[in-house]
Amino acid sequence: MTLRQRIMAVIPYVLLVLTVLPIVVGYFWLALSSFSVSTEGLRSTGFTLSNWSFLSEPPFGRGYPSIWRVTFNTFVIAISMTTAVVIVSSLAGYALSRLNFPGRKSFLSLTLILHAFPSVTLLIGIYFVLRTLKLYNTLTGVGLVMIGFELPFGIWLMKGFFDNVSWDMERAALIDGASRLRVWGEIILPTIKPGIAALSIFAFISGWNAWLIPKTFTIGAGQNATLSVFLNNFRGDTVAVQWGAVTAVGLFQLIPVAIFFIFTQDLLLSIYAGGAKGGT
Amino acid sequence: MKVKLENLSKRWGKVVGADRIDLEITDGEFVAFLGPSGCGKTTTLLMVAGIYKPTEGSIRFDERVVNYVAPKDRNIGMVFQSYALYPHMTVFQNISYPLKLQKTSKEEMKQRAQKVADMMDIGHLMDRKPAQLSGGQQQRVALGRALVKEPKLLLFDEPLSNLDARLRLSMRGEIKRLQVELRVTSIYVTHDQVEAMTMADRVAVMKDGKLQAYSPPDELYDQPRTLFVASFVGNPPMNLIEVDVTRENGDYHARADGIDLIVPAERGEKAAGKGRVIMGIRPEDVTISEQEQEGVSGEIYVVEPLGRDDLIDVRVGETSIRVLADPALRLKMGENTALDFNTSKAQFFDPATEQSLLW
Amino acid sequence: MNVKNRLERGGTPPLSPATPERETSPIGARLRSKLEAYGFLSPAVLLVTLFFFIPVVIIFVLSLSDLKSSNFGMLQWWLPVNWSLENYAKIFGNKFFPKILGNTFFYVAVTLTLFNFSSALLIAVLTTHIDRRAGFFFRVLWLLPRLTPSVIYIMMWQRMASRAPHGILNQLLVPLGIGTGGDLIQAAPWFFVIIVNGMIGASFGMVIFTSAIEAIPRDFMMASKVDGASTWQTIRHVILPSIKWPILFVITYQTLSLLTSFEQIMLLTDGGPGLYKTEVWALTAYHRALSNYFGNNQWGYGSAWAVILVIIGVGAAAIYMRVFKFDELVQEPKIDLL
Repeated sequence: MTLRQRIMAVIPYVLLVLTVLPIVVGYFWLALSSFSVSTEGLRSTGFTLSNWSFLSEPPFGRGYPSIWRVTFNTFVIAISMTTAVVIVSSLAGYALSRLNFPGRKSFLSLTLILHAFPSVTLLIGIYFVLRTLKLYNTLTGVGLVMIGFELPFGIWLMKGFFDNVSWDMERAALIDGASRLRVWGEIILPTIKPGIAALSIFAFISGWNAWLIPKTFTIGAGQNATLSVFLNNFRGDTVAVQWGAVTAVGLFQLIPVAIFFIFTQDLLLSIYAGGAKGGT
Repeated sequence: MKVKLENLSKRWGKVVGADRIDLEITDGEFVAFLGPSGCGKTTTLLMVAGIYKPTEGSIRFDERVVNYVAPKDRNIGMVFQSYALYPHMTVFQNISYPLKLQKTSKEEMKQRAQKVADMMDIGHLMDRKPAQLSGGQQQRVALGRALVKEPKLLLFDEPLSNLDARLRLSMRGEIKRLQVELRVTSIYVTHDQVEAMTMADRVAVMKDGKLQAYSPPDELYDQPRTLFVASFVGNPPMNLIEVDVTRENGDYHARADGIDLIVPAERGEKAAGKGRVIMGIRPEDVTISEQEQEGVSGEIYVVEPLGRDDLIDVRVGETSIRVLADPALRLKMGENTALDFNTSKAQFFDPATEQSLLW
Repeated sequence: MNVKNRLERGGTPPLSPATPERETSPIGARLRSKLEAYGFLSPAVLLVTLFFFIPVVIIFVLSLSDLKSSNFGMLQWWLPVNWSLENYAKIFGNKFFPKILGNTFFYVAVTLTLFNFSSALLIAVLTTHIDRRAGFFFRVLWLLPRLTPSVIYIMMWQRMASRAPHGILNQLLVPLGIGTGGDLIQAAPWFFVIIVNGMIGASFGMVIFTSAIEAIPRDFMMASKVDGASTWQTIRHVILPSIKWPILFVITYQTLSLLTSFEQIMLLTDGGPGLYKTEVWALTAYHRALSNYFGNNQWGYGSAWAVILVIIGVGAAAIYMRVFKFDELVQEPKIDLL
């Protein structure tokens, strides 16, 4: 290789490293800060474990819920959202992919339109729906809204997976005597496990991370707070920011995301690619 | 159980799947639906299964119209080309699934599944998943699953097409034998005419959604009613030659370029005076003549050894004629030869309607 | 398989006459199977109605009324008597309207051009031209901003930009004598708003462009190399023309998405610093209706801002469905409901 070729071969790497640098540096700082008395740039002023004391006592003083209460809230939302999104999307996705009924085309177009639809513009309307249903400032309300927002993506993703299931297998099950509901649950769902895994991961992460919807539909950092809402309240300018503790909580919140990130990279890329085919 | 299709059609918009099929299957009969892909045979089968809803016409099981009876209530078993086994279930679970849905007791389920599996020679594979089985074994599981609920009608959708040639041959025999033993009415869809001819009591030949012929295999072979049936059934396919049939001095002559054959009167009279007609003659009804002077003469164009026979392509004038010959004759390309036609087996078709002039 | 032997050993033949079929009336069966389909759809329909359709209707009606915290419970906003187009007049009469409109255009155009499109394409091209594993690694890293909870992601950026001695960038800039060491977000809010959103947005295009580039037959690329084309020429004449549709898709889709998303801006600058410095349209709607600093939520007025976005969104979605013909992906079911 000539020098010129060598340089040409290195250029892509240099460019890519430079562009991802902010992300990597951000994560590095987060980890560093959580174990530091304080940081100056990327320099620690001293090692400490005291930032992690929130695990045993309420962080940021009394009067605020304990981290476990908040983690529990977040977990409940993420898990129920995952379960509900998977079940509702795979029911609807199955109908749109496999059942012939009047209005099928319209339902499909509707799913697509909603898929591209800017749902956050509806928050004002949803606020009134939740108030009417007496679900404002409840975890149920927040969870339902997030499920609703995830559905167009979920239905479209699941429909794509159902489209690829063998018709003969479904016919065989019908002839064997199964109802469509049984075919769905006992025959088709078990064969699209990768699709269910993909949608579950996607739904879990978006439920776990969510900030805007919980923030909008719950009040402050009370007992109904989720991790993102909770964390954001201690980042703001009304209190003196204890960066060490905030970053430790942040790192704590990142644990499940990191697990998915490390162990399901292929799936993550394909979720965003698969979902993106219909838009995400 | 008797099955009767009356004026049965399936259309999707302008696409015609099956076009006014009329057909009756007697109790215990084995019927094959034969035709090229896209001819409507699978569509028809799926209507019988209750998977497709007929656009028109009716399906009767015994005397009862079953058009709106759900597949599960039709008491049928079906075997698919793709096997269509449930990949996440074991062989036992696959076979016993229909019984589980009938809420059969655990005990009986086990016993019946085992009995069917033993019958299929897969009794020792009960705990395997389909992915751990060979194609032949998978097809036996599919067959077992179709049989376990003791259906009154068995449907086969090209069940052997995914198997290799040897396995196909042995499974063909087994299915036939099984059907005879169990005496269960069966419909077998295939594009392979050998399968249809060897297995079925009657063969329904289909093309473009229409029923072309419905008769026992030998009749189909000897008395094809349409040009399509004649050319589709039989391997190597029938020779088709455009001829003029005329009556001269009490004999019927079929003439074409370089060809002049005498045709028996009972066939010749039906084809005479119709202008150009199509004469069909099977390769085995044409022989390489020992005596040069008689018959039709031509040049050997290609010799294809098939093992038991040689398939010879002989050019007579512009026409190419396929002949089955004894390899011992050691025929060579480029040689001149004479042909003997067994015109008592010749078929005649109207070129416009493609209907037989004989039957 | 020896059927005869098995049968003899087994005693009874395995097949006995089966039970007669249940009679089902045509109408009953048809109705049942249709209801079955709607049954599968009903949970989705319920949620979509609650959180898409009804809210759309609500904000349309609200936008015609003057509902706010101070008259909540008193104003019967659902009665046509209380409807007017005043809110819309108020929007266009607002003296900050040109500012917000300008901000929105600036934000969408610049973020889209620099990141959601250009960076996405650049990463896709680069990562598909280096070692497969390395390319995969970089793409996965680029997913991080999207996977990170927005609150934490913004926190990282704030620290990146905060004043010396804490700020990471200032640790680098101050020794070089650049800047004053003050908070960089205050100094250059747009720079950070755009980079923060752009780094999330780029992964969308990246993923789509990557799969589109990987779908280009290898022969094409090879042929172009053999013909002596430079890398740039290959990109220009082979890659770009073959991913024309994905490009159009990403651009239209991301325009809509940038136009209506405001979560990161809200977390990073909340429209500031100062008056409406980085306030965009969608954020205005939210601020007016749901997060008014003075505790007076102007639901009616905020809805009017949102309604305009909703109209743009529905229109764009409809056009974009036409253009990309997604409904043609729909296959017909191969089982009929009887």
